[in-house]
Amino acid sequence: MTNSDLEKLKSLPVPKPGGGARERAIEAALVAFEKSAATTQGTAAANRPSSAPHSGTRRSFMSTIKINCPLAACLATAVMAVPVVLYMGPRDAGRNQPEPGSVGRGTELAQLPEPKQTKEKDAPRAQEQRPVAKIELGAQDKSPAVAAAAPLATQTKPSPPVAAMEPATRIAPSAVEKSDRGDSSRTMDRERLSAEFKAAPASPSATASSSSLLNALGKAEASKPDANAQEFSRNSRKMTEQLAPGLAGRVAGYAPTARPEPVIAAPQEYRDQHEAFSENPVKQVASDPVSTFSLDVDTASYAFVRRALNAGSLPPKDAVRVEELINYFPYDYATPEAAALPFQPSITITPAPWNAARKLVHIGLKGYALRAAERPRANLVFLIDVSGSMASQDRLPLVKNAFRMLVDELQPDDTVGIVTYASGSGIALKPTKIANKSEILSVIDRLGAGGSTAGAKGIEDAYALAEANFDKAGVNRIILATDGDFNVGITDRGQLKGFIERKRDKGIFLSILGVGQGNYNDATMQALAQNGNGTAAYVDTLNEARKLLVEEASSTLFTIAKDVKIQVEFNPAVVSEYRLIGYETRALKREDFNNDNVDAGDVGSGHTVTAIYEITPVGQPPSADPLRYATPDKAEQPGPSRAAPSTPEYGFFKLRYKLPNEDASKLLSLPLTTAQEKRTLDTASDDVRFSVAVAGFGQLLRGSPLVAGKYSYDDVVALAQSAKGADPFGYRAEFINLARLAKSAAK
Amino acid sequence: MDRSDEALADDAAAGNRAALAVLLERHYDRIHRFAWRWAGSRAEAEDIAQDVCVKVAVAIRAFRGEAQFTTWLYRITFTTAADRARARQRILTFAPSEMMQLADAAVPACQEDAVIGAELWAAVRALPDQQRAAVMFVYGEDLSHQEAAVLMGCTEKTVSWHLHEARRRLKIKLEAAG
Repeated sequence: MTNSDLEKLKSLPVPKPGGGARERAIEAALVAFEKSAATTQGTAAANRPSSAPHSGTRRSFMSTIKINCPLAACLATAVMAVPVVLYMGPRDAGRNQPEPGSVGRGTELAQLPEPKQTKEKDAPRAQEQRPVAKIELGAQDKSPAVAAAAPLATQTKPSPPVAAMEPATRIAPSAVEKSDRGDSSRTMDRERLSAEFKAAPASPSATASSSSLLNALGKAEASKPDANAQEFSRNSRKMTEQLAPGLAGRVAGYAPTARPEPVIAAPQEYRDQHEAFSENPVKQVASDPVSTFSLDVDTASYAFVRRALNAGSLPPKDAVRVEELINYFPYDYATPEAAALPFQPSITITPAPWNAARKLVHIGLKGYALRAAERPRANLVFLIDVSGSMASQDRLPLVKNAFRMLVDELQPDDTVGIVTYASGSGIALKPTKIANKSEILSVIDRLGAGGSTAGAKGIEDAYALAEANFDKAGVNRIILATDGDFNVGITDRGQLKGFIERKRDKGIFLSILGVGQGNYNDATMQALAQNGNGTAAYVDTLNEARKLLVEEASSTLFTIAKDVKIQVEFNPAVVSEYRLIGYETRALKREDFNNDNVDAGDVGSGHTVTAIYEITPVGQPPSADPLRYATPDKAEQPGPSRAAPSTPEYGFFKLRYKLPNEDASKLLSLPLTTAQEKRTLDTASDDVRFSVAVAGFGQLLRGSPLVAGKYSYDDVVALAQSAKGADPFGYRAEFINLARLAKSAAK
Repeated sequence: MDRSDEALADDAAAGNRAALAVLLERHYDRIHRFAWRWAGSRAEAEDIAQDVCVKVAVAIRAFRGEAQFTTWLYRITFTTAADRARARQRILTFAPSEMMQLADAAVPACQEDAVIGAELWAAVRALPDQQRAAVMFVYGEDLSHQEAAVLMGCTEKTVSWHLHEARRRLKIKLEAAG
């Protein structure tokens, strides 16, 4: 693509406006002009006419005003401020490096003293007049998503865009801070922040937090089943509708253009790099009775899939890792008693819903959940990508909010350091105890995006910081937040991996928080996190960040077992074929199982992990012809399973793990017997049935020929619906919606 | 008769209706052109253009002539167009159940117009917002990097970077399309 190719853009024809469009527009404008002339400054907004007479769904702006006087006042002043704001455009070029005292900008704003005063006055009033939100804040203290929804509901859309951003962003910081506990330093932060936002009201970064919060609003609505929350949800929906008249009408036009051909995902949406892999094949027990793989607790794939489906398209095949979809959901498996024996497998064998001649071996593991007192001290370093690409909507602002929430979850004794990287890399905050929370939060608040990416240098700095503050008895972890590309510095993936591996062996682990879509480098992130004993999670909404960093904070941060590998040996007398669903990128060689030097996945405190095999029992039609020359007796079989078992065994399950501070692995084993078998899927537990539904969903998304034609999204929905259980956070309900979306996107 | 935009804007700011009408007449095509390039659909472009006209009419009273009128107008047009796109995305993310019904109803109401060079514009539209804006200002509207920087609220360097990224992506995309 050269300049000259693009030069021709300006000469390409543009369709002429339809007959009368120009006249209608100008007429509407002149009417608006006259109305605004007839009023005084303070009420200008109240007389702003509906701008699209042809849009039937649009309500008059007046009705909006009636329900929210403070907002109207805000808008009125904001409208008046538009020209000033626009004029400031060139000067807020430096907005990406906000200084704590943006005094200069403040004084520029003061050119319009009247509106400014009104704004200051109205902001607190606007908050006071939201009782619904307040109650909700108290009841759902753990749920910033809901908290976030409240101010947004009142601050959404109706004003001219430039003006709209102003109030919305002003509120954002307080929303994130959950219930504002009156901490004075925070209040100051917020004031400073809002000053900063005022200075750059029309910049994309300023709108970013509000849109991610809006995503969170969606989650809150979809995921809060209790009546109180629904009530709130309805209120906020209603208000949003009143405030955003016309949107509902416009949305009708959206979905179709974004919908791609089945299976081929919209390519323009996906510059994300995913490692290509093909599905695990069906293996013959006679020739290949042993299956070995590393556990995987990553969940990044689920967030990807959700994002694609919510945008109306199917995700690219390689972005769908079935095991990550399954492991996204919390399951209530049996909990181990003590940290010394961190796992207790729950095994269930059921018929396969997509093939009557197959059975599923469902292996559920729950990691030991550390109690607060047992929690080691955490030495964390946040490594934050602040390159230019992080400026957009769902990136840096989301990361900042996510880290704020994480800081809230930590103990006073834990430390946090912050390293940022863009064209250069720098230490934004030396390791600081959580006791000085306000200092940490103010550094996070000040972060801004700009420059290109030098990921490797940043990683080096972060490790140096973590090493300097190394705590032998504690957890030492770097949390890297990025949208992906490491395009300056050590760009060689192998070199970077080697570096991370060496540090891992010294006891510093790496977790990755992926954000954004467009150039998210899934493959690199995945590889780096795997090599650094960490998890790679993709965060697209504040609610997702909350799940990862608040609800699952301890499992994200505290490892209870490392290098966890699973080996299953199938009994050729009972099973003729098997297939592991998912874990394609995690396969290990058979001999790796007993080799403690081979790295494998780690499990955090309280994590649940599920693996599902599809097996063909002997006697059912196999998918491949049996071997003519091999006899089962000659098949290689180690000792233990040869002894004739009292109950027929499907196979033998073995799990190897290392405790966090040990280098020698421990073995846990148990047979897979008919005693664990359920005659029908209906009699299996909710958790088993739900994870089977997710497995079916993942395989459908991947276009697996093994389920194609035999299983549909409708089946997924029906099974998941029946297995929803208590679903306190609404994750399963959200999944059911996704399955429906997939159905329509696949048409 | 041919008074400058700024002089007309000053008159309009002082309450002169006719001056505003002249301004809007003069610039409607520019607004519509930008809106069409942004949205790719005539109906959508007309909606955006009308919104822009109304916004101009309301905001012109506070126009103080600190910026060139066209810059000011581009800024309003740009934010209006971008805001509509964002508003769509928002609705989609925050009401999955409603989305379902809409997806089921599926009427292709926002079909992009078929015109010469449509693929190129479609590729530009698929760029991330900032890159898309940079291409539209610099190549579509023939503005300088500096003017684009003013409109986008960033530095010239950032505009150049966005353009560079945009060319890189467009190249990959158009090559992939054959």
